[in-house]
Amino acid sequence: MSFLLEKFEEYAELPAIIFLGKTFNYRDLLVKYAEAEEFIGDKNIKEGEVVSLTSDFTPNTIALILALVNNNNIIVPFTYSLKETEEIKFDIAKVQKSIFVNADDCYTLEEKGGTGEHELYATIRGRNNPGLVLFTSGTSGFPKGAVHDFSKLLEKFKTVRRSMRTVNFLLFDHWGGLNTMFHTLSNGGAVLTLKDRRPQPVCAFIEKHKIELLPASPTFLNLLLMSEEYRNYDLSSLQVISYGTEPMPSSTLERLKKVFPTVKLQQTYGLIELGVLRSKSKSDDSLWVKIGGEGYQTRIIDNLLEIKAESAMLGYLNAPSPFTQDGWFRTNDEVEVDGEYIKILGRKSEIINVGGEKVYPAEVESVIQEINNVAEVTVYAEKNPIMGNIVCAKVRLIEEEDKKAFTVRLKSYCNQKLASFKVPVKVSIENEQQYNERFKKKRV
Amino acid sequence: MFIKTTDNMITKDEIIEIIFNSIDEINEQNRSSIPKEASTTLFGSQSELDSLGLVHLITSIEEKTEEATGKNITIADEKAMSLSYSPFKTVETLANYIKTLVDA
Repeated sequence: MSFLLEKFEEYAELPAIIFLGKTFNYRDLLVKYAEAEEFIGDKNIKEGEVVSLTSDFTPNTIALILALVNNNNIIVPFTYSLKETEEIKFDIAKVQKSIFVNADDCYTLEEKGGTGEHELYATIRGRNNPGLVLFTSGTSGFPKGAVHDFSKLLEKFKTVRRSMRTVNFLLFDHWGGLNTMFHTLSNGGAVLTLKDRRPQPVCAFIEKHKIELLPASPTFLNLLLMSEEYRNYDLSSLQVISYGTEPMPSSTLERLKKVFPTVKLQQTYGLIELGVLRSKSKSDDSLWVKIGGEGYQTRIIDNLLEIKAESAMLGYLNAPSPFTQDGWFRTNDEVEVDGEYIKILGRKSEIINVGGEKVYPAEVESVIQEINNVAEVTVYAEKNPIMGNIVCAKVRLIEEEDKKAFTVRLKSYCNQKLASFKVPVKVSIENEQQYNERFKKKRV
Repeated sequence: MFIKTTDNMITKDEIIEIIFNSIDEINEQNRSSIPKEASTTLFGSQSELDSLGLVHLITSIEEKTEEATGKNITIADEKAMSLSYSPFKTVETLANYIKTLVDA
């Protein structure tokens, strides 16, 4: 951790974070770091205690994270959008103290009364290292708390790499967001934070801050294309758009390439349990990707991707170990292999079995997305006594359209493009948004 | 085309009309030419429909029946599958079966 503070001394006058229109340089961050250390002392936050941090990317948040890391605390980051139903995460993580950073970047502490006791926490405390707890989004059920040794995750930021002007699109409580932040800070870049993550403000932000790298989700990129907001702004500073967190529909990728012909389109692969792997797409319009990099090994068993990572989590707080006996993490992502490259087809649990044939929702969604007047689509399974399961599609339309006419249009189009068992049997039209605050598709 | 009736009442002829409408849809989607006759074999070696086609047809009929009667029926379920005379044999047997479901 001290390497980061040394870098901050070195970067001194460079802008470190632009927050609410104000620029804070690295020297300002060091002042805030000193204040955060004082706060930790005043509030008697002891070494090894489990401390949650509800916030977004702000100057004091960065200072607090670093000070808590230095105090060997186990940090549990939460975003403001934490819903009441997710309060359970405080219990799962046995949070002892909770820090809340408000929109003006002022912070307060509350006793949470958790025990802070867990055998995984004991392991981290035994190493005299800081910890980090991240939650799986729980789209497939109950949220699981993944416990990491924070010091291992910081290792990779010791290597100096070029820092692009990156918009912190991804949220603070997941790897994507944290990774962007640490990468930027360790390389003397400026953390550029965003309040509103809808297409129009994002485009305005890219223009204003001459953003070079936009890390986003396929769902967001689809909305961006649909909104056509990119026509209203100068986005010529963009060099790279990276996408991950969910399967990219090939139709969205193709349109993206057409709209941004000179921008590099890069797929990323990261998991709450393992961190973000280094990756390289075969080409801009290809879903084939090479993943791995230093500290990561990959193998394919029964078409499923398994990863061995030096910086893997220790385990879940509230679920059995997902590792094999020899330490490989089962991603449950089904992949196709071509030499060094893989193509991610989808989560094993999301594959629909229609009379013994496999259907990947992402593939069907990609085809439906090509149809005129489709804003968003989610493909899911329904039990059926004849076929075992049938494919169903829930569609949000751009403009109102007669359901029967649309259904016939959808089925006819899919019939031309897909094997018959992949064609949705049931089609429903719903007006509500199909993505969550992370701009990630909500699976049924 | 659909006659909205009260009390979920619907005649067998009206059900056959619904089935024909659904056959039209399937023919349009699949570019097939399943004949619209009461004796048309829906499932079996004589049929143009495979099991998936049958599932599409049944789903369409379920939706249309609900529109006409306001009643949500499930045509293909464990019960239908276990009957000794399959209700899916012809348009006519299917119409009879749907009538029992709607009247139930």
